[in-house]
Amino acid sequence: MFSSDDAVFMIGWEYPPHNSGGLGVACQGITESLSEMGTQIFFTLPHGNVVPLRHMQVLNCSDASWFTNSNPSNQPPFFAYSSSSPVPHRFYAGKFDQTRLHLLPESELEEKVGQYADLVATEGKKHEREYRIIHAHDWMSFPAARKLAQATGKPYVAHVHSTEMDRIPDGNGSQYIINTELEGMSHATRVIAVSYYTKQLLVHTYGIDPAKIDVVHNGITPLVYPPDTGRHHFAPKRPVIVFMGRLTVQKGAEYFLHLARAVLQKIPSALFIVAGSGDMYHQLLLETADQKLSAHVLFSGFVRDKQRETLLDRADVFVMPSISEPFGLVALEAAQRHTPVIVSKNAGVSEVLPSAIQTDFWDIQKMTNEIVRMVAKPTAYQQVVTGQLNDISQATWSAASAKIKEVYQKVLLNY
Amino acid sequence: MPQLCFYLHLHQPRRLKKMNVFDVGVHSSYYESEPNDGNRIIFQKVAQKSYLPMLRLLRDLTAWHPEFKVSFSITGVFLEQAEVYQPEVISLLQEIMATGQAEILGETYYHSLAALYSEAEFRIQVQKHRQIIQRFFGVTPRVFRNTELIYSNHIASLVEKMPFEGVLTEAVDRYLHGRPKTKLYHSYTPKRLPLLLKNAELSDDIAFRFSDKNWSEHPLTVEKYLHWVEIYPEDHLVNLFMDFETFGEHQWEDTGIFFFWGKFVEEFLKKNWNKFVTPSEVVAALPSHAELWAEHPCYDVPELISWADVDRDITAWRDNPLQFDTLDKLYQLEENITATNDISLIDDWRNLQTSDHFYYMCTKWSADGDVHSYFSPYEDPYEAYRRFSVVLADLEERLME
Repeated sequence: MFSSDDAVFMIGWEYPPHNSGGLGVACQGITESLSEMGTQIFFTLPHGNVVPLRHMQVLNCSDASWFTNSNPSNQPPFFAYSSSSPVPHRFYAGKFDQTRLHLLPESELEEKVGQYADLVATEGKKHEREYRIIHAHDWMSFPAARKLAQATGKPYVAHVHSTEMDRIPDGNGSQYIINTELEGMSHATRVIAVSYYTKQLLVHTYGIDPAKIDVVHNGITPLVYPPDTGRHHFAPKRPVIVFMGRLTVQKGAEYFLHLARAVLQKIPSALFIVAGSGDMYHQLLLETADQKLSAHVLFSGFVRDKQRETLLDRADVFVMPSISEPFGLVALEAAQRHTPVIVSKNAGVSEVLPSAIQTDFWDIQKMTNEIVRMVAKPTAYQQVVTGQLNDISQATWSAASAKIKEVYQKVLLNY
Repeated sequence: MPQLCFYLHLHQPRRLKKMNVFDVGVHSSYYESEPNDGNRIIFQKVAQKSYLPMLRLLRDLTAWHPEFKVSFSITGVFLEQAEVYQPEVISLLQEIMATGQAEILGETYYHSLAALYSEAEFRIQVQKHRQIIQRFFGVTPRVFRNTELIYSNHIASLVEKMPFEGVLTEAVDRYLHGRPKTKLYHSYTPKRLPLLLKNAELSDDIAFRFSDKNWSEHPLTVEKYLHWVEIYPEDHLVNLFMDFETFGEHQWEDTGIFFFWGKFVEEFLKKNWNKFVTPSEVVAALPSHAELWAEHPCYDVPELISWADVDRDITAWRDNPLQFDTLDKLYQLEENITATNDISLIDDWRNLQTSDHFYYMCTKWSADGDVHSYFSPYEDPYEAYRRFSVVLADLEERLME
């Protein structure tokens, strides 16, 4: 049995504030609440760049050679989720060679993931007597988990926050990453998926045994200060509709432009904001201009901290038209900040946000009607906001951690 | 022994600050403020390298050589900034104008593409430019040069109604059909405006090639250049049209550009059959109307031309969707903006018409791309578009009740 003060050896990749996306946030939520329940945690990172943490012991499993130059790809986070170079590439010759952008940083990343596995195994072996279970977050950690499990004879859990099939929905993602994901899950004692949406993807696309997969939804940390809602932040005279996420095919940013065009037919003053960066940035700007949406669709670039909160506070409607989204924490953040959410049915977060407006990512007509309804009918707007807040009250990290502990129990029972 | 018309263009845009969505509808200024006002920093830098030394040289040349003539086009946005950032630029220009050996040309106040979009707006901006030239220099421009020498039959028809007595533009061979650019032409319009065509070869020898060590004629000596100019017969007109910043900024002082020009003027004027002229002198010397028609050929330009890039067209400003859509959006606001009578709103709108904003959005590549990136304050054309789009959204917000 996994008793309340047992320890877990977690293999991570990123952690706030050095995170490129949701993985770091999820690791923070999970470890903080597990620790509150008495679980001791070792947590490895491929860098030592962490503010001192009291709730767990962070182990720096990096190689000094990784940080020798100032290239951003050598600095944490290592952009394992980005399908393009994180280095802002200069405009060149009007062509975007995406395959090249995709491959270049990847080989570097593969090498780093391999070295990380060795470093983690060595570090994990040192603490062998202090934990009973290994818990690995996403594919970058899976080789390390496997290596450490072999070295120590302990079981490991593969926690899937995102897959290559989500990131590159047309299936032309990295074969190396897909293989790493597949092997990591196959050799794991159990697999955690962040949603039922992801579970079905793991079963149908990766062929993982459904009986081996538990679903643990992410939670959200309650706000310390109430949201600063209202229209006073900026653009006070018009409805503001926000998209926030990486500008990749996965996130459906193109559908947001189609939506903008349709909504502007009905609400000519509406203002659409695309917050994020990514390899589709230039293409989206050109498409915006080509569809004559300049000045109605604005791009903010990547936002964090206060600006991120301000955007979500100001948004009259938040739209997540993801083509494939394992979870989608930002939708919970929007809901938490009293903003009605329109979420794609292909987003795991829809499972914990039943009061949000759920649509197919391609259903522009329905999204348009819903936006018009939200803008025109304060009561409908309030109804969605209240429902979402009620949904969120269930979506806590402690609920997630309780489920994770149940998974640990199953692992130790079967092992 | 031709007539030589030497004309320099003075302009600095108001570059936009790093606008973000959070600036929409909150009364943000569109420009950087002190102590880090990038527009001031650039203006003063260029003034030190180019405006002040070249204006002093021109002042001295007018004093030493009563036959030396120079012409300027000076945008309103340039004068506004000069007045605040470096008033000495204006006083030097005034000194030169006071000699009577210089001329200022008419154009749009905002260095805009208004002629392509709105006749009413075009007229207002030309009128506003007349006023500021009158205020600073006490003269009224008689000959016109449109932004970047952009020209077509249609633009000529707008200009001749204003009225102006002549127009400067580019010599483009697809409309010259092999005829010499050193002749005076007339426009394909009812009033047949006299047209002075830029001599690109001789102008660019100074403006672009002067310090190019890979150029087979490098270094360009006064003797060599004089020889090239004097090849033309006396009834021909050599029009040297270029950016003022050629002197000191594009070609740095250490290339010898200032010395070159001073020496050239001296040598050129040593022969008393050589002559400097200003555009309105050229026009004033013309015979009456019927004779003009008979003697001077027609320059029929159905499509837009300019002095930019290798194609001498307007694709530097209007080529990709970023440029087309922002220009369309900007001019669609005309009626609503002007109806407000809100002076600061209208002025902001007009400053956004400055053609440089669209030039920065150019995504053409090849050799021209290098020239473009040299002149752009932003990291890439997309950033220029992003900022401009935010400012447009703010203008629209200001229009909402």
